Amino acid sequence: MKKILVLMIGLILFLHPLTSGGAKEAEHGKKAIRIAENVPGLITPGVWDGQAVALNSSIYEYLVEVDAQDNSLRPVLATDWSTDDGTVWTFHLREGVRFHDGSPFDAWDVKYTLERTQDPAVGHLKRADFAVIQRVDVVDDHTVVVTLKERRPTFVLQMTDYNMAILSRHYDYENMGERKPMGTGPFILSQMVPKENALLVRNPDYWDPQLPKVDRLEIYFISDLDAKVAMLEGGQVDVVPLISPVAAQRLASNPQISVIAAYQEQRFISMAVDRKPFDDNRVRLAFKYTMDPVILARNLAQMELGDGFYYSETPILNTLPEFYDLGLRGRDIGKAKALLAEAGYPSGVSVDLYYASDHPYGKELSQTIAELAAPAGFAINLKGFTRDVYLSQYWLKVGFSITGWGGRIDPAILLGLAFHSRGPWNEAHLVDPVIDSLIDRIAGEADEGTRLLYYAELQRRFHDEGALINIQVPKLVALHRRVRGYSHPLTMIVQYKYTDID
Amino acid sequence: MNTLIHHLKANRLVQFAVAILLFWLLAALIGPALVPFTYTAIDSEHSLSPPRTAGHLLGTDALGRDILSRIIHGSRSIFAVALFSSLLSTVVGVLLGFCAGYFSKAVDTLFLAAMDIIMAIPTLVLAMVVLGVLGGSTILSLTLIVSVAYVPATARVARSVLLGEKEKEYVKAARIRGESHLYIMFVEILPNTTAPIIVEATARFAYSIMTVASLGFLGVGLQPPNPDWGMMVIENKEIIAQAPWAVLYPALAIASLVIAISIISDFASKVLIHER
Amino acid sequence: MKRLWTFVARELLSLVLTIVVMSALIFMLVELMPGDVAQIILGQSATEEAVAALRQSRGLDKPAVQRYFVWMSGLLRGDLGESIYMKGVSVNSLLWRRVAHSLALAFTAFLLFVPLSIFFGVVAAVKEGKTADSIISFIGLATMALPEFVSGVLLIVLFSVTLKWLPIVSIIPIGQTLWTNLRILILPALSITFVMFGYVSRMQRSSMIGVLHSGYIKSASLKGLPRMYIIRRHALRNALLPTITVIGMNMGWLFGGLVVVESLFGFPGMGSLLLTAVKTRDIPLIEVCVLLITVIYTLSTRLTNILYGVLNPLIRHQGGQQ
Repeated sequence: MKKILVLMIGLILFLHPLTSGGAKEAEHGKKAIRIAENVPGLITPGVWDGQAVALNSSIYEYLVEVDAQDNSLRPVLATDWSTDDGTVWTFHLREGVRFHDGSPFDAWDVKYTLERTQDPAVGHLKRADFAVIQRVDVVDDHTVVVTLKERRPTFVLQMTDYNMAILSRHYDYENMGERKPMGTGPFILSQMVPKENALLVRNPDYWDPQLPKVDRLEIYFISDLDAKVAMLEGGQVDVVPLISPVAAQRLASNPQISVIAAYQEQRFISMAVDRKPFDDNRVRLAFKYTMDPVILARNLAQMELGDGFYYSETPILNTLPEFYDLGLRGRDIGKAKALLAEAGYPSGVSVDLYYASDHPYGKELSQTIAELAAPAGFAINLKGFTRDVYLSQYWLKVGFSITGWGGRIDPAILLGLAFHSRGPWNEAHLVDPVIDSLIDRIAGEADEGTRLLYYAELQRRFHDEGALINIQVPKLVALHRRVRGYSHPLTMIVQYKYTDID
Repeated sequence: MNTLIHHLKANRLVQFAVAILLFWLLAALIGPALVPFTYTAIDSEHSLSPPRTAGHLLGTDALGRDILSRIIHGSRSIFAVALFSSLLSTVVGVLLGFCAGYFSKAVDTLFLAAMDIIMAIPTLVLAMVVLGVLGGSTILSLTLIVSVAYVPATARVARSVLLGEKEKEYVKAARIRGESHLYIMFVEILPNTTAPIIVEATARFAYSIMTVASLGFLGVGLQPPNPDWGMMVIENKEIIAQAPWAVLYPALAIASLVIAISIISDFASKVLIHER
Repeated sequence: MKRLWTFVARELLSLVLTIVVMSALIFMLVELMPGDVAQIILGQSATEEAVAALRQSRGLDKPAVQRYFVWMSGLLRGDLGESIYMKGVSVNSLLWRRVAHSLALAFTAFLLFVPLSIFFGVVAAVKEGKTADSIISFIGLATMALPEFVSGVLLIVLFSVTLKWLPIVSIIPIGQTLWTNLRILILPALSITFVMFGYVSRMQRSSMIGVLHSGYIKSASLKGLPRMYIIRRHALRNALLPTITVIGMNMGWLFGGLVVVESLFGFPGMGSLLLTAVKTRDIPLIEVCVLLITVIYTLSTRLTNILYGVLNPLIRHQGGQQ
């Protein structure tokens, strides 16, 4: 009995902060959208890991946004923009916009945001892409001119990257960015319990008085994919922005819930060209001949090839106009074996495959390709790690890996990052002068027709000698039927300002 | 031994438990050669098939992998880890416990303090943190960490039984004969203390199965595509509405093995210790 | 009486010692982690200068011993450090709410399993060898053999998926507290109860049987005292002693179980925080969580020891060991 007493007293002492914590009853009569998101790691723009998109997308804004329907650019903080031949860019900025702390937004904030990419103390993820900037000039409070070192006809598209939110030059993002994110967006952070939840309220001074359509966003951070779906089914949340295909299948029979494929994400299976055995193109080809896109589609996404799932051997999304269709290679184990033998591996070859096991499709993809490649003599040892460990310890260092890549509206951004010999994220360690020169020509070419020709040539090269298999998987979002106007383009930045709820 | 068999004949429940244990032991030893599929074989035509379709006796998971084959294969790793870790912790525990109890008071105090410290972290928490921090668990790392976590408990049991025997006549006689310490500890005393040590070891065996399964559940156990039972439960929890068999059979496998060993451990303790 | 105080003092001293050594061990353990912390925080694309700057700003370039003392002196001042993952977020702001939630969960489980298992343990002992005994013993064995996550999944299937009585995920809605959402405690507490019921009821049964067979109970029956009176007034009181020990010693299982159960139900407690910390390699958070669990666990086992010593003078003479 004494023990119980002691425990009770201890409990009451410990529970004290519970009752005193800002307990507010849910306000009635206000429209709220409840969202079950991933648990974010770092969220400060510049080093944001792209998790928990609802949070950052609603608090911060960008110069431009992408229309989820037709992928066209729309003005946000920039009202219009122009360029000479892609070297000098002029942005006219919206007037009367205020940050959440009340300070006005002007050209100096844009200059600050762009120059921050090169600050070594920030460790900015877009540092390489924005190293092309030579100078940022503030013409007047609402006009800024960006001069580049080289011609970049699609430079404005770089401003859609999720780490390029426009920041206030007066705010201490280094110390406050993780605790109290602050921007010009349609919603203001009201309270946040780290790793658990965040409450966002409508920005009353938003520059578009029609928006946002709801009063509150309630965001829960939940790591378990399945728990999020259970919350949706149980009526605890309205939106789950990341669900697995198996869950989608189950939800299909639920009349209250709809599942949409917002856009396609990519998974790159990368074979380093400077490591055995993939230093020999015949081994890379042999591996490609073991793949069966139909089985991959069924196992990974429970769907058929084409509807939201695609397989190719080039990095370009097949939904973009830049994609050049070379057809499917087709599975041919005999040919794969012959190629392997020709390359000097008549009795097969053993290779370690590194991947992030907690990423959607991660386990399924790795296990399926290991199984598909086995009959040809590839003994694939799976090395799965949690995403952060994989990215920090193994990615870019190992010879064979699967990595998730978000969508980019301009494929040139991706090419420069991941396939140029000087790219910071060159997974396959490519040093191909043909590919390099094509990427350079694409980045600097103003004429769209010529650019498409370069793209076609590039993709043929990838098909014949490349070190990549590109699996396009649908980004599945589950919504309660009450939710209307959900808008989520392939830049990953979700636009809750247009979303309403009945 | 004879009394053991005599008691066994009288107890239906224990016979049943022994049968289950033997079944899993056989499954681990020769099962993988008998099952129709390998544990990674993917049958995309029959994903989420209910039991007894297309040769899948216990159905398939979301990738179309055969549940029965995965469970049978999985029995290997769980047996390996549980058996070796309970053996290892018993051997090390007996060595430490005997030395502590046998020698001077100072050694004993130091020993007790050290054991208290290791025991101050709950087994599962210790194993989870170490394995999670090191990453990429293997059968070896799992076995080692579970053993380390269980040594103190075993050592304390060994120490207390040794204390009970130490002052008995036969030990004193051996001392007078001038036998070495090691001889006295392991040739004279050990045979007289096997019963409680065996009982403790079987209890550890059951605990370590639960611990290994829980580690698999927490995602810090063996990595995919290893068919770890705990991991199967959590991996397939997502499809429990569509394919309950993919969760229930691995769960049943864990439960049956732990129950069987617990019953045997109970029985051993009753026969070997209480009715002696 | 003097002996009792020496005993208590010794227990307390060993508690402090344990905690000091533990803190050093935990610190060392996490130091063994492969890879560079600064690199992990910043990711693969980080430049060397950024990594170096971060190492310096977090004091990671100092020797481990020095960092240990900085850490310890911080702990003593109540400064538990900052989360590595969330710059500017103090461990204090993350931890204490979670600790309160976990204690509430443990306490709920405690309220469920202690009376239940003592009651059924006594019933089984009184009906020794009869059907009721066999049934209770088998249920105890079966629930004990189910790891928390298995019984938890079964409970979810029954109460959440089929009957739809209780939520699958134990989260606290934004702007509310645990107090207004006590429902979310039920399923996690039940899963813990399952495992603990087995241990405690079995121990209660065997100690009760031991007492019932002892001489003085037999003589009490011979005196003609009513059986229920004997059981309540004499037998139970004596038979509770070993049960208290079992409960105290099984606090370790309870904490392990909390990690599992909190992860299964998404319950915002200390266990799920620790698992997240382990998976994201948030070192300051791991260290503090493990240390805290160790302290609570050690405290509860020591308290049990002391309580047992107070109730049973024999133990004090034998130095706390049976």
